[in-house]
This record gives sequence, C-alpha cells and structure tokens, in this order.
Amino acid sequence: MRIFSRLAFIRAAGTALFFVAVPIFAEETNSSFDWFKPFSSLSGEYTAEETYVSDADVRRGNRAIHNFDESDTILRFVLTPRVKIGVLRLGIEWEHFSFGFPDRTPLPNTLQEISAIIGLDMRLSDSILLRIESQPGFYGTNNFDFNQMNAPFIAGGTYIYNPNLQFILGVSVDVEREYPVIPAAGIRWKIARQWVINAVLPQPRLEYEATKNLTLYGGGNIKQTNFRVDDDFGNEHGKPALNHAVLTYSEARAGIGADWKIAPSLTLTAEAGYQPYRDFDFYRAEVRFHEDGSSPYGMISLHGAF
Amino acid sequence: MKPLLASLLLLLMAKPIISAADAVAELAAFSVFDKVDINALAKSDVKTEKVPPMSNARFLAVQSCYVTSGAPAKQIEALRQWNPSKHRELKIFLHSDLPRSPSTTDFSKLKNAPDNGSVRALVADTEKMSSDLQISREEAKKFSSGGEKGGGGAMPAPVAAFWAELLNARARSFASGGTSAQSPYDHTGEAIKPGDELNGLLKQQDKIRRQFSVFLGETGIGRGAGSLGPELYWELLDVDDKGVLTLGASYSRAGGAGTYQAADVLYYASGGYYVALTLYQMWPVSADGKPSTLVWRGDMISSASLASLHGVERLASEGAMMKDISKAVTAFRKDTGR
Repeated sequence: MRIFSRLAFIRAAGTALFFVAVPIFAEETNSSFDWFKPFSSLSGEYTAEETYVSDADVRRGNRAIHNFDESDTILRFVLTPRVKIGVLRLGIEWEHFSFGFPDRTPLPNTLQEISAIIGLDMRLSDSILLRIESQPGFYGTNNFDFNQMNAPFIAGGTYIYNPNLQFILGVSVDVEREYPVIPAAGIRWKIARQWVINAVLPQPRLEYEATKNLTLYGGGNIKQTNFRVDDDFGNEHGKPALNHAVLTYSEARAGIGADWKIAPSLTLTAEAGYQPYRDFDFYRAEVRFHEDGSSPYGMISLHGAF
Repeated sequence: MKPLLASLLLLLMAKPIISAADAVAELAAFSVFDKVDINALAKSDVKTEKVPPMSNARFLAVQSCYVTSGAPAKQIEALRQWNPSKHRELKIFLHSDLPRSPSTTDFSKLKNAPDNGSVRALVADTEKMSSDLQISREEAKKFSSGGEKGGGGAMPAPVAAFWAELLNARARSFASGGTSAQSPYDHTGEAIKPGDELNGLLKQQDKIRRQFSVFLGETGIGRGAGSLGPELYWELLDVDDKGVLTLGASYSRAGGAGTYQAADVLYYASGGYYVALTLYQMWPVSADGKPSTLVWRGDMISSASLASLHGVERLASEGAMMKDISKAVTAFRKDTGR
C-alpha cells in the first residue's frame, strides 16, 4: 500500500482570475526574514507603485500637445480574510495620474481615484474559481465631490484544467464607460519549468523564472479608467460641453521587467519600456486626444501578500 | 455462566458488520462529513471536502469518503496490491519496496533513473549541493562529486551513491526509531524536522488525532519505532518539474467489528514537501444489501511552498488537492473494479 497521487497538486503552478494572475504554489524563498511576521494572523496584499512616462505627445486634429510627462502612483491595500464561502477582499486603493501639460491645455492635469475594494473569491468546484469585486469610490480630478462617485466591478472565473494550464473568462462593468460591459478571456500556461505565458488582462506577460527569487518578464499593461471632471472644467478651458464630463483615460504599456522576491511577503518589481498607446476621450462630448508618438517609461513597485 | 458463554460465542461468530448508523455516527464524530447516506454514496463518486484552515501556513489537509464493495480486509489488500505507477499522470519514475532492514543495494534502481528534465534538475541540485535539497548538514558533507563517473542512466554514479547512502540511512533510522529519529532538513537553512511536522499536522486536527491515537501509537509516525511493523518503500517522482526522492511507510491494523485503520506516511522527501500523511478508517457496512466498506480518507501535507500561499491562491491549491485525491480514488476504484 502506498499513498497515491497526493503530490500532483503540489507542482508549482498558477491560476489566474480575471484581471489578476496568481500562483497556486508560489515559489519558495530562502529569505528568512519575514517583515510581515507581526501581522501573521492577518491575510492580505499590498502594492505601492510609481510609473514615470516622459516626452509624450497627444493630438486632436490640428491641436497637438507635445513633451508632457506623466506620473502614475498607485497605493493599494487589501485584507483577504478567510470566511466560510471563500476569501473576502476588503481594502482601499488610490491611483493618481499627474500630467505635465502646458498651460491652457484642454485636459485635466490630474486624474485620480480613491476607492474601496469589496470583493469575494469563491471556489465553485475543485476546478472553478470565481471572483466578484467592486471598487466604489470617487473618480475625479483635483477635488473630489459626490458627483464623481462610481462603482465599477468585475466578475470572472478561472477554470483550472491542470496545475499548468488555466482558462479565464470574465466581464468588466462600468456604467460610465462608452461600452459599459466588456468581456475578456485569457489563458495562463506554464509551457516549461521556467516559462509561463500569462496572457491575462490587464497585464499579459511572458515570464521566465531565472532563479527562485528572480523572475524576468516581457509584457504589457493595459489601463482604462473613467473620471468625471469638475463642474466648471469646460468653462475654464473654453469648451462648456466639458463641464462635469466623463473622461475615459486609456493607456497601454509594453516593456520588460524583473520581479525580485526580497522576502516572503515583499517583492520589488522594476520595469521599463515604451507606451505605444494613450487616449483621453470625452466620448459624450466627442472630444478626443490620442497618442502622437510613443514615449518611454519606467516603473518601480513594491508589492506582496501576507 | 452458560448464557454468558453462549452470548460470547454468538458475538464471536457474528458477521463483522456494524450498523450503517453506527459507522455514519462515528464518521461524523471525527470528520468533516457530518451526514452521509451510505446507499447514495455507494452509487456516487468519492466525496471530498476541505478541512478548516490550520494555523500553520505550511499545512494543508483534505478529507474524503466513499463506499466500495467488499469487506475492509479486501479493501486493505487491494490497496496493498494496487500499483499506481501505471498512471502516468502521477509522474512516479521509480518505485521500490524495501525490506525491514534495508541496505544500499535496495536503492540500486537509482542508476536506472530516466533521463528527463526532472531527474536532471535533481542531479544538478545534488552536484552543487543546492540549499533546495532537504537534507541535513551532516548528510551534505558526505557528498563527493569525484570518483566513478557515469552510471548507465541520467544519474551519475557519485550522485546515485550519495542518495543510496542517504536514503538507506534514513530508512534504517525510521525502521529503528520512527520519524523521531529522522535528521532535520537543516541544510536548507530551516531546521525542519519531519517528526515535528507530522505531529504538527495531527495536533491541529484534534478529532482525527484522537480517532487514530491508539493506532498511531503503535506506528513510527510522529514518534519512535512502534510495535506495528511498517511496509517500507522509496520512490523517485516529480514535484514541480523536479525529481524528488522520497521514503514512505505503510501501516494497517484491524479493529473491532471488522473495522480497519491504515496509515501511509512519506517521512522523507528530498524536496517539494516536508512530509505527507494519509490516514484511512474503514467500516464494514451494507449498501443496498451488499457487503461493502465505508472508507474515510484524510490527506495532510506540510510544504514550504504552501506557506507562501494567500487568499485565492490557497483556495486554488485546496481545490487542486481535492481534485487530485478524487482522481486517485476514482482510478483506484476503477482499477480494482470497485
């Protein structure tokens, strides 16, 4: 008599939920110092990220805006307590875009959101995971007011075909978006011991595990958020139709990077590349500025789970 | 005295089948299955449930139950005879039973290890004495990359000799001193002791520990050598695309009224996991009028990789473990026609 098949599940592998990809079995680390040991009774995840994009240009017809830079700051903290039906996701996120526009540019130089994160991860069966998550909060510019409240949400599922291959299907809903419902699909496939295709939005990647604590990758980051500008934004910029208008800001980044696992609960990520796509779209007012030449960017992030 | 003697004789002659209600009640008392319909379970697949999360993040456990035809003794024998290595998905490259007093020649199959990426990864880790290897510092000192080269397989002779010595020493120390005699995995930088891990797994599942306390007290699991003789074996298998050498031992014991308890422990692994333990409780029952066995199975594992799982990752790993166990039980039942 012997134990049979108890170990197949332990292969390092991953799963991916819609808009998030995580390892089923994260790699072990030799790092002995766990900075989050004092919080060991809690479970959660965090991100502190800064991206700088330089020398960007956008254009609307004959109107071009040249050589502005962008700073994108993200702070996110989510507690993930275990409950009977799954894992709750309760947290807060702040994302702040700052653009170095010249004077009298008809675009806001600050876009920011501060939102609560309220979600639930559930296991529907041995092979199917489901995530529903909403981010109710303020999506505005320099100053927040209650007219800028919104609550986009996602719902998605992962089918774990085996520890090396998962399929993802989901939907993103935002009533402020031109197309409120956007479906998406993805795949996470560990093609070899050190190689993973992680084709899951918003950050599709090809990953190479160089060492136990270092993963190199090439991939993209696709961002799109809707912000409502101030009540008198249009008046101040000579276009009253933009007062209190919804601005859809989209950008795509493509680059290479490295994840360095410093400690069990702390990973440092550095990334550099180009931003081939950017779009400021007041779609209801039909005012749109689009990318006019790609721009380089660099990103640094501290993140982890505990 | 006569009525008493007659009663005792009747008791001894009685068929070893306990009432289904008693079996179900006992099952409910120590497991996560608080309500089981034996007739329905006999017609269905294995039922698998996660156990409440344990406080040690390295630990993961899953329980399952099913009804199979035939008495528990037959079930135990079928488990003993079943060869899972024909199921390729289990990725067991080598399996070999060991005598109670093994020698290094019992590990000679190491020279025939297949030439694949997993084995090459194990060989590479061995040749550089990687800190990934779960061995003791003393064991690490014994590796010598010199001497005889080659070996006829993917494993060079010095590597095969190193592992044969190490596995033999650990198997012998288990046979004589149970898991308590196992050296720690301190070469990894973590002073993990297999015996402590097994005790930790059981300590956090108190109802199970109590249910099996007498039986486990007779084994070498989490203690010194017990009075029950183990069936020893070793394997070369794949965990996380790396070759892992593991040592295991199985025990079984008949209880009252035709019941059986069994245990299967992996008390040493060169990587991937620290220890793993499967416990079985079997009751003779009648399902749709046929002699059958109600089987409860508890699988528990300790692994460094598990400690780094959080939130949905943990949900996913539990699901994967449940799925694996369901598959394995289904394969066993299919192979054995049960």
